[in-house]
Amino acid sequence: MNKVFAYSLFVFGMFLIFYTLLMSESYEIQTLTIMAFIGLGLTFWGGLLLYITPSKHVPVELLNASTTSTLATIEKILTESNLTRKGIYLPPKYLKDFESSLAFIPFRDYQSLPMGTYEPKLYSGNPNGIFLIPPGTALLKLFEKKLGTTFTRTDLNFLRNNLQKLLVEDLEIAEKTDIKIDGNIVIIEITNHVFNEVCQETKKLPRIHESIGCILSSGIACALAKVTGIPVIIENEEQSHNGKTMRIHCRMLEG
Amino acid sequence: MQFPLTFWDISLWLAFISIILLVIAELISPYHGLTNLLINRKRLRRVALIMGVLFLITVVIRIVGIIYTL
Repeated sequence: MNKVFAYSLFVFGMFLIFYTLLMSESYEIQTLTIMAFIGLGLTFWGGLLLYITPSKHVPVELLNASTTSTLATIEKILTESNLTRKGIYLPPKYLKDFESSLAFIPFRDYQSLPMGTYEPKLYSGNPNGIFLIPPGTALLKLFEKKLGTTFTRTDLNFLRNNLQKLLVEDLEIAEKTDIKIDGNIVIIEITNHVFNEVCQETKKLPRIHESIGCILSSGIACALAKVTGIPVIIENEEQSHNGKTMRIHCRMLEG
Repeated sequence: MQFPLTFWDISLWLAFISIILLVIAELISPYHGLTNLLINRKRLRRVALIMGVLFLITVVIRIVGIIYTL
């Protein structure tokens, strides 16, 4: 919808209303009433079209174009560092900045992480591995902004109750979501999301797909680590047969 | 200089507009849109609710008026 059209409606409607007021002596009341109704209607619909039309809209292909190179850089770091283990999404208690997010990719398997606050430098000797800012960090910040709270002040029930509202109603990036919690396993199903193409591209980058997942899974794992206060790993990401639904299996490690 | 629409004309107009907008806001879907018109659904719903509330206010005014004339 062209904004010029909406402005034209609004201005013409206002003109009709003023004309009706000025010519109230010259015409019959029925004519004036019809003119006033038309003026009021045009002004209202012009204003409404200006108000409900989003100011900026970008095609979904732009997501893929803008994220692929960043993901390729992370893939290169993981490949050259010879890292094959699952990335561990760290909760705030391990971080100096509570509001940040960090994924730790170890050189060896960890069932539990050594306690302490970790320096957010790339290579670490203790614990042995590398620290990366996960690709879903910005998405997590957007989630928090939309919900008007920080996940550190909430719990898993809050995320379970609000994920559908957040992704479907507020951000309109998915059609349906579902969370199942079974002990320390959390399974999140997201149907018809806009990151589908980006996630398909991530599958072509085996290390990043295996370690930290695609951008949407990463954002959700960051949120899970923050709400539970427990390190989280993405066990598996799978697509349904029709490719519409993505199922993310996350596991919470012992703290 | 007098505006030709009365309070009850405006009330009727508000009722008409609010019904149209509420129906559109409920039926519209970002996934199966057939037009190129991009709509912020939340804003549309907000406007629909405001118009509905304004109409209800006019109804309340009318009821209060009827009660006082009894």
